[in-house]
Amino acid sequence: MQILKYILKRIIQAIPLLIIVSFISFFIIRLSPVDPLAELRLNPSVSQETLQKETERLGLDKPIIVQYGKWAKSFLKGDLGITSNGEKVSTKLKERIPNTLLLTTIVIFLTWLVGIPLGIVAALNWKSPLDRILTVLTSIGMAIPSFFFAVLLLIFAVKTGWFPVGGLTSSDFLEKNIVGQILDVTHHLILPVTVLFTLSLAGLQRQMRANLLDVLDSDYVKFARAKGLSEFDVIYKHALRNAINPMITLLGFEFAGLLSGAALTEYVFQYPGLGRLILEAVMRSDINLVMASLMMGAIMLILGNLIADILLIITDPRIRRSNV
Amino acid sequence: MKKAGYVVLVIVLIALFLHSCVNIDTPEPQQPMNKQFQETEAINYPAPKNVTIDGIDYRQSQAPIGKFGGTLVASTIGEGPKTFNPFNSKDNISSLLSEIMYDGLLTTHPITGEPIPKLAESFNVNGREYLIKLRHGVKWSDGKPITADDVVFTWQNIIFDGYGNTSTRDSIIVDGKLPTVEKIDDYTVKFTTPEPFAPFIRMLSSPIAPKHIFMPAVKKGKAYFDTFLSTNTPPKDFVTSGAFRLKEYVPAQRVVYERNPNYYVINKEDKKLPYLDKLVYLIVGDINNEVLKFEGGELDVIGLQGANVARFKELEKHSNFKVYNLGPSTGTMFLSMNLNTRKNDKGKFNVDPKKQRWFLDKNFRQAVDYAIDRKNMVFNIANGLGAPLFTAESLNSIFLNKDLKSYDRNLEKANELLKKSGFYRNKKGKLFDKENNPVEFDLYTNAGNTEREAIGVMVKQDLEDLGMKVNFKPIEFNTLVNKLVNTYDWDMVIMGLTGSPLEPNGGKNVWMSDGTLHMFNQRPAGYNKDDRFDWEKRIDDIYVKGALATKFQDRKKFYDEYQAIAYEEKPFIYIYSPLIISAIRTRFQNLYPSMLGGLTHNIEEIYEEK
Repeated sequence: MQILKYILKRIIQAIPLLIIVSFISFFIIRLSPVDPLAELRLNPSVSQETLQKETERLGLDKPIIVQYGKWAKSFLKGDLGITSNGEKVSTKLKERIPNTLLLTTIVIFLTWLVGIPLGIVAALNWKSPLDRILTVLTSIGMAIPSFFFAVLLLIFAVKTGWFPVGGLTSSDFLEKNIVGQILDVTHHLILPVTVLFTLSLAGLQRQMRANLLDVLDSDYVKFARAKGLSEFDVIYKHALRNAINPMITLLGFEFAGLLSGAALTEYVFQYPGLGRLILEAVMRSDINLVMASLMMGAIMLILGNLIADILLIITDPRIRRSNV
Repeated sequence: MKKAGYVVLVIVLIALFLHSCVNIDTPEPQQPMNKQFQETEAINYPAPKNVTIDGIDYRQSQAPIGKFGGTLVASTIGEGPKTFNPFNSKDNISSLLSEIMYDGLLTTHPITGEPIPKLAESFNVNGREYLIKLRHGVKWSDGKPITADDVVFTWQNIIFDGYGNTSTRDSIIVDGKLPTVEKIDDYTVKFTTPEPFAPFIRMLSSPIAPKHIFMPAVKKGKAYFDTFLSTNTPPKDFVTSGAFRLKEYVPAQRVVYERNPNYYVINKEDKKLPYLDKLVYLIVGDINNEVLKFEGGELDVIGLQGANVARFKELEKHSNFKVYNLGPSTGTMFLSMNLNTRKNDKGKFNVDPKKQRWFLDKNFRQAVDYAIDRKNMVFNIANGLGAPLFTAESLNSIFLNKDLKSYDRNLEKANELLKKSGFYRNKKGKLFDKENNPVEFDLYTNAGNTEREAIGVMVKQDLEDLGMKVNFKPIEFNTLVNKLVNTYDWDMVIMGLTGSPLEPNGGKNVWMSDGTLHMFNQRPAGYNKDDRFDWEKRIDDIYVKGALATKFQDRKKFYDEYQAIAYEEKPFIYIYSPLIISAIRTRFQNLYPSMLGGLTHNIEEIYEEK
């Protein structure tokens, strides 16, 4: 019951935050000297009448505050409006969200599956050759800029012909059977996943290693060892449980990055995800689409933090007592 | 002390290095790339004929007989289509991808540029009257016949009534009156324009819509029509007349078409075309990715630019593709000065008055023109694959005024012209006007277009030879267009526009003084004060008369004059026309590349050699 109350409190706190975020973003986008109709205007075959019609359709002839009011009203009703091309924003997002989720969940799953054990191994074998090798590897991983790595892999794909050059499916996707389709998607996913995996693995492994080292040095671990507990119990029952706390907070941020974290890599690999859509929308000031994505990002961040906090309450009795 | 010496030495070295970087290195043109491409090969395209078999009027391809089956993968750059309704499309990609599915009554002969029948069996122009005969027995992809009702419906209920993108309608209004269309019998339609209006014949290549599919949408009103046949429409709902119909659309990835089994073009063995089973357009984000995809074998045909051409020409020898030169591009690229003398709504001048005096001075504009080294740009930016441009009509236009001669860079002449207008140089070589203002202005172009950015750098260097200070600022495309057509706060710009090599009247939005793209002296919509320059008035006059004249020779005279005025007054200083170069895999046969139609204008005749 108390936990429900806590969640409710957090949600109410989030409302003014969202209002401020939406207000600031809307005004910044609208005040920037970007003409959403630029492409139309520079097309000699488009007439003045058509331009006029478009201006009215997009509501560009009204003051910004009125435009914001109109947007906010329909947003509250759950209507995200239409893009500057007249398509529904919600359908546009629905086309892309599954693709991005597919990529990011695979990456998060893989990095946690590999990163956490590697961190533990490195911490337990502190200063051993294994730890040193892992340190070098992760340093390299952290140092490579993601777009550069992505471009390198793309060139690798072209030169060897082993991997498709970007995209998510081949052009004969529809004619394949289900197994062929899964293989096709996997084939396309390998390179972008490799890029994102390498980059986030490095950070996660370092974090886990540092946490565990911290804990291993603490008094209660020494006490547990002195008590004569087996090394297995000391590490997995006492040390690890405490070392994992900061990782849960990290997981909350990973959740926020589910929809927006891969934008750069998506762009280089021409991956049909949200990143490319939003970037193109920002370029031509497609207000409804940009606003929808910004709001989505803000909500995901708030939600991610909330989830992390709830998980913390569950795992850590200290927080449970003080917070709730 | 010794240390200080080193520091000085290093600084001097760096300065020398930077100096040599800044200086233009003009390599001697040894063997220009375009020598290899000097002449576009003369192509003899066997135009299709009409044949009647069992009462059905087919269009018979005269190209060699090919093999059925296969797939051609092409690409479009950008976000992909915004609609599949050809009447709603407002951008080139949507138009291209929707018009694949809908044929027009007429089309353009890919070599001569003359209008020839396509969906129509024949046509006859008699002054204001256009009599169109349709083919008997030709069907939509769902099996319903294509008749005069479809044509009348398309023109009367969609185009004339202002559904979708009304630009076609707006461009054929003469004196506030629209042409009329009437059905003579099931297979004959007559159009009548209110005045003799030459550009109308080109409009007859607009797609024809199936009445039984579009009628319900039209009845639901304009707002509904705007969303009709959008990118979310299931492919099976498309009823088409073109060689292909939609099979699959995957957002941000590709558009797949399959052959239309009811297409009305047959080969010499009387088998129904197209040869290809599938036509795929991949949606790629940028040029670099497109090139990678071609090299990776995922694409079969690609348009090439600048540096890539030389590389592909080298690769061609041991690869499975061939590079074609399709001739100069139909668009124009130019440098323009802002001739705007009006004030904005805050009472401030759009252009600083002292700059206005420079830009309005014809000597100044001509001096800038003479200072620009077009040959150097063609050589360095387009890798020699282009030709200097001096006219408002593109080099392949049938209306090109060939009397307007090209000339080389001439700094002496430029300096002379500036002197005539009272400009002078100080000891350091800086240019001042007669009121002692230093000549300094901003030059814009859209960031991300590497070609225009390179031109900007060279223009800046060329003008600095005259003592002008040029602040070159590439800015985001949408921001730049906002400056050009809304806020008018710019000095000089490098821009490009698409054009038609067949119909100069398409440029009326640019050249007529009330046009929406009259960039160099843009007036706000509804502006009613007559502050036109004399030559602007003359061009307005020419554009009205040129459209109403019907004989080619008469029209040519008008459009020759407008080009001569533009050549003299230099509102746009044209730079160069790049060559259009495309590459396609050698396994595709029946290719008749042409300047006007490109590589795949006869897509139904192209086949894949296995």
